[in-house]
Amino acid sequence: MVKLTIDGKKVEVPKGTTVLDAARKLDIHIPTLCFHEAITPYGGCRLCIVEVIRDGATQIASSCVYEAADGLEVKTATDRVLELRKFMVELLLAEAPEAQVLQDLAQELGVKAPKRFKVRNELCIACGQCVRACREIVGVSAIDFANKGYEKKASSPFFERSDACIGCGTCFSICPTGAITLKDLAEGETAELPDGTKVIGPARIIDNWKVGLAMKKCKQCGEPFAPQFQLEHFTKKVNLAADFYDVCVQCRT
Amino acid sequence: MKVSGKKDLQKLQKEGMAILFPDRTRIMVGMATCCLAKGSAEVMSALKDEIKKQGLKADVVSVGCIGLCYQEPTIEVVQPGKPKITYGEITPGKIPSLVACIKQGKVEKQSVLYRTDKEELPLNGGRHIFSKGAPQKEFKGIQEYSEVPFFKKQRKIALRNAGFIDPENISEYIARGGYSSLVNTLASMKPEDVIAEVTKAGLRGRSGGGFPTGVKWQACRKAEGKIKYMLCNVSEGDPGIGMHKSLLESDPHSVLEGMIIGAYAIGAKEGYIYISSGQTLGVRRMEKAVADAKAHGFLGKSILKSGFDFTVKVKEGAGAYVCGEESALIRSFEGDWGEPRQRPPYPAVSGLWGKPTVINNVETLANVPVIMGQGAKWFSSIGSEKSKGTKVFSIVGEVNRPGLIEVPMGTTLREIIYDVGGGLPRGKTLKAVLAGGPAGGCVPKKLMSLPVDYEALMQAGSAMSSGGIIVMGEDTCMVDMNKYLLSFSEGESCGKCTPCRVGVRRMREIITDISEGKGREGDVELLEKMALLIKDGALCNLGKTAPNPVLATLRYFKDEYQAHIKNKKCSAAVCTSLKK
Amino acid sequence: MKSFNLSAIEAILEKHGKAEESLIAVLKDIQNHYGYLPQEALRHVSEKLAVPLSKIFCIATFYSFFSLEPRGKNVISVCQGTACHMKKGEEVVTSLTRALKLGTDKKTTSDGAFTLEKVRCMGCCSIAPAVRVNQDHYGQVTQNSVANILSKYGKV
Repeated sequence: MVKLTIDGKKVEVPKGTTVLDAARKLDIHIPTLCFHEAITPYGGCRLCIVEVIRDGATQIASSCVYEAADGLEVKTATDRVLELRKFMVELLLAEAPEAQVLQDLAQELGVKAPKRFKVRNELCIACGQCVRACREIVGVSAIDFANKGYEKKASSPFFERSDACIGCGTCFSICPTGAITLKDLAEGETAELPDGTKVIGPARIIDNWKVGLAMKKCKQCGEPFAPQFQLEHFTKKVNLAADFYDVCVQCRT
Repeated sequence: MKVSGKKDLQKLQKEGMAILFPDRTRIMVGMATCCLAKGSAEVMSALKDEIKKQGLKADVVSVGCIGLCYQEPTIEVVQPGKPKITYGEITPGKIPSLVACIKQGKVEKQSVLYRTDKEELPLNGGRHIFSKGAPQKEFKGIQEYSEVPFFKKQRKIALRNAGFIDPENISEYIARGGYSSLVNTLASMKPEDVIAEVTKAGLRGRSGGGFPTGVKWQACRKAEGKIKYMLCNVSEGDPGIGMHKSLLESDPHSVLEGMIIGAYAIGAKEGYIYISSGQTLGVRRMEKAVADAKAHGFLGKSILKSGFDFTVKVKEGAGAYVCGEESALIRSFEGDWGEPRQRPPYPAVSGLWGKPTVINNVETLANVPVIMGQGAKWFSSIGSEKSKGTKVFSIVGEVNRPGLIEVPMGTTLREIIYDVGGGLPRGKTLKAVLAGGPAGGCVPKKLMSLPVDYEALMQAGSAMSSGGIIVMGEDTCMVDMNKYLLSFSEGESCGKCTPCRVGVRRMREIITDISEGKGREGDVELLEKMALLIKDGALCNLGKTAPNPVLATLRYFKDEYQAHIKNKKCSAAVCTSLKK
Repeated sequence: MKSFNLSAIEAILEKHGKAEESLIAVLKDIQNHYGYLPQEALRHVSEKLAVPLSKIFCIATFYSFFSLEPRGKNVISVCQGTACHMKKGEEVVTSLTRALKLGTDKKTTSDGAFTLEKVRCMGCCSIAPAVRVNQDHYGQVTQNSVANILSKYGKV
């Protein structure tokens, strides 16, 4: 166990706990953007930064990746920290002003949309949550970052249709800004992917990865319930019987 | 042959001396990348042909860079009992008369640059005397090396062998004292003693922030775990400096010996030299050096019967400026994009594959054998109070003698530009000096008495970084230069953290506006505010130093920004959308 | 255009051992062999090294050394270093672009003879502006010497 002080309050946590988690134990709120409990922390958005004082020296650090240590002193809301957090939100607002999460953060921190920067309207803010989720939770790594610097964003290989995507929608649900679009097409409904591919429902389409996956229909109720490819993936991975997914979850239970 | 101790080394040293200073003529041709770009390959070819034609018995050797870039291609001639003669700006057309002179033991007066009567060997404090006593009539009128303005204020320690030896011949390296430090260190010193010596010497990292090398080594030695790694980072990305490349091409063994001593100090069994793209010649020379060192027993199991095992592999990377940041280098090495990690933990504690790792720069390592050979006291007597030793600089731009130089820390910018560099060409007036590249800042002409030392440069808003010094005249626009430097950092940003990925880009956009006459009232204040916030909020040193040029130009050349914004004027006539 | 030959890639993989850490070295060798990184090559590497294709694409687009587009027989690299910038390196780029009839989107000549690239500092600062064609370095390049350099590689 290690003992540290956050905003004057003492807390004891197991070795390996991050400062962010230690703060949460004390119910101290630190805003985050690229963080999610189910995946390894990244430390890139710099929203969760705090002042960390160690051996007499003060450092600005992302609390989600800073390991708590004995004798550490943490300050989560100094003027210096707040000014930096506001700056991050200002920068990101010009990237994706439509993103609700950024508007909420702007309100929380008292930030106005900056006038000097030309609005980019790119919802992907390279937080990497979708990438980490696809790698760590789903285990298929259908997507990863492409490019570096300002052009960095989550992408499928070659910006073309991802062969590995199983259409589980984890990326879609975890994305904080809504940059990923996922839609289930009903029977007979059509759509065109960004690469021109025409898809006919029942199918799941994810525009960002140029994916259009045919849905499997339950043998019992006839409802489309999951992408065929996804079911094949799990059948193979967990060594299930070939007909395991013939019937949907509802009908099975 | 495998060296097992001092006696073996002395034997090799003697053999090497016979190659360096043979009984017959030895002709050395500079064949580093820049020399080749200036036509030294054609000169070499012409030389070999002419020697055959005129029946001159001579050893012809390819050497590295002597730093005299502005007078390349260079040829040096060593003849028994005579001073070494250096010739410059040689073309194939000048070869026949040159060879004729050499054959007669005479000096070719048209192309001669200087003579060298004696050469210092900084590794062991020795010297080689080419010609004793007063110079013969033939050589009297030729300037001696120690009086040559370009070399007078220089002191070659890291570059002690560059241009003087065939970089692919380990015997020549040994002849000039090479590997004697390793032999003595392994024979008589404990790893802790090595660290103490390097710490006492005051050696600081020669690329980046100048972190004390001994402290880094100590942290790694003390770190938990039996497996430790020694890494030499040659992913030079700093634009405006060819120093890393030059060291690899001219004297790879100096880096290797330093690395082996360092590995012994920290307790590493495996070492890697990570070389980024575009350094084909350097890679080849380093691979040969590693192979030769191994064959001589300086690498492998129980080196020199000490019980210390160490192997080195050369690994090629794809190159990215962000890989100058240690944690990004480690990720790149492991086979990923150059993703920096927040510190702590520091690489010395958790680095390559999570193991304690020391990452050192080539110049830092090249200094190590000299420190071990001459001692900490000697090393720390050179330089300034907090910056010990020398620094290699690449001096380029509006300067008469561009080249690769090495001067004691604390030498002033004025001395470097005017005494060593020969000042600005006729018709050019000094405006500023950029030190530290995109991580540094320009120093205006009124501050030319600034000493080159880590702290002094930082306080002036500049930086040492890898050692690039770019001399700028009045026809340089500081807004344009800033735009260029920021564009570089913008292009090299890894994209992980918001302040660097977005902030640097937005700063550069504003400066582009200013350079195109679209600057607005309040831009200067906004740039300064953004620069300070990015410096504070960025995750790694690329982001933290990218705003430095902005802050420096705003500090010293704010009026130029105002002129661009308010009057739409660019007095240097560089920003084409504006009037002069 | 070479017809796709997997054996070259097999040889490269053998040379570096099938470890993920050799990925960058493998990609470098592939680029040296083909002049760029063909999609089929990357798919094959992904399979053989058991590294996700998305990761390989991530690395290929991160390091500016790699090209995912076929490049010409001769690759002209113009240095973007500080000294070269000061010595009007941009003008060299403009001259070459004009001489080879290229544009912002067109980097390779129609006959596949030349590709023009801007690269990071080559370390030839004392002979700025510097240009590299394949493995040959040229210094103090001007708008006038551009034609001379191109002629050495067959450009009339």
